[in-house]
Amino acid sequence: MKNLATFFSIFFLSFFISSDQLYPGLDEQQLKRLNYLSDNIRCPKCSYGNISSSNAPISKDLKEEIAQMILANKTNDEIYDTMSERYGDYILLNDVEKRNPLIFLAPLIALIISISVVTIYTIKKSK
Amino acid sequence: MKKIIVLLTAVLLIALVWFFALSLNVPKISNVKTQEGKGLPSGFELLKLNGEKVDETELNKGMVLLNVWASWCITCLVEHPFLNELSDTYNIDVIGINYKDKLGDAIKYLDKNGDPYIYSIHDYDGKYALKLGVTGAPETFLLIDGKIVKHRVGEVNQQVWDEEFSDFF
Repeated sequence: MKNLATFFSIFFLSFFISSDQLYPGLDEQQLKRLNYLSDNIRCPKCSYGNISSSNAPISKDLKEEIAQMILANKTNDEIYDTMSERYGDYILLNDVEKRNPLIFLAPLIALIISISVVTIYTIKKSK
Repeated sequence: MKKIIVLLTAVLLIALVWFFALSLNVPKISNVKTQEGKGLPSGFELLKLNGEKVDETELNKGMVLLNVWASWCITCLVEHPFLNELSDTYNIDVIGINYKDKLGDAIKYLDKNGDPYIYSIHDYDGKYALKLGVTGAPETFLLIDGKIVKHRVGEVNQQVWDEEFSDFF
């Protein structure tokens, strides 16, 4: 009975625990920035995934470091620079488009060419 | 019209083959950068496992092999006999960075498995290692006059030593 009471106490108390209590110095806006940056920085120990979805100790450390940098009024670019200087561009998840726009443009170009060729061919054949 | 389509298909195919051939020569980028070429982080008051203060000038002088380890790390346990061999047979000075570990557990680990380190830095919260660019344990750094010349992420064994470190000794 006592164990059950402990279980339910922990269960209900857990509803009141939120991320802002993990980083007590950050206000709501700063927490949003922390979440945004954590979503866009890769966990350096994992094959895939960002630091906000990773439970690796290094991800927790990096989130804390980013929180400290936010409190020190660093801009997002400065934070990204610090991370990429230490771990390389690989760590930046929002950088792929800038580094290699062809990845996104190539399928679009191929699609436009294919549609044009099929359309022209069909029109010509029907005449 | 047919000629144009054939020509266009041929051009597309050639472009595709050319693009793949080029991609084969692009170096792999999906790896975390190592810390080679950098120095050690400064502004930390480092303590040894016995509580003594670390003289940072020692770390920035001559050839220093830094090994990141922890008692909870299974790969470190696998690596440990080779580190013992390095210190006993090759007479190489190894300095440990005890990473995110309890002091008691770290001392017990060294008592049980042998101590290859001339001393170990107790980095309880991992903050020093974080600034150094460590992503976990084990990792090994070779420094010459304070500059990292080799950074190995993962276990160092005889094969890794022969391939990546032995040239420096």
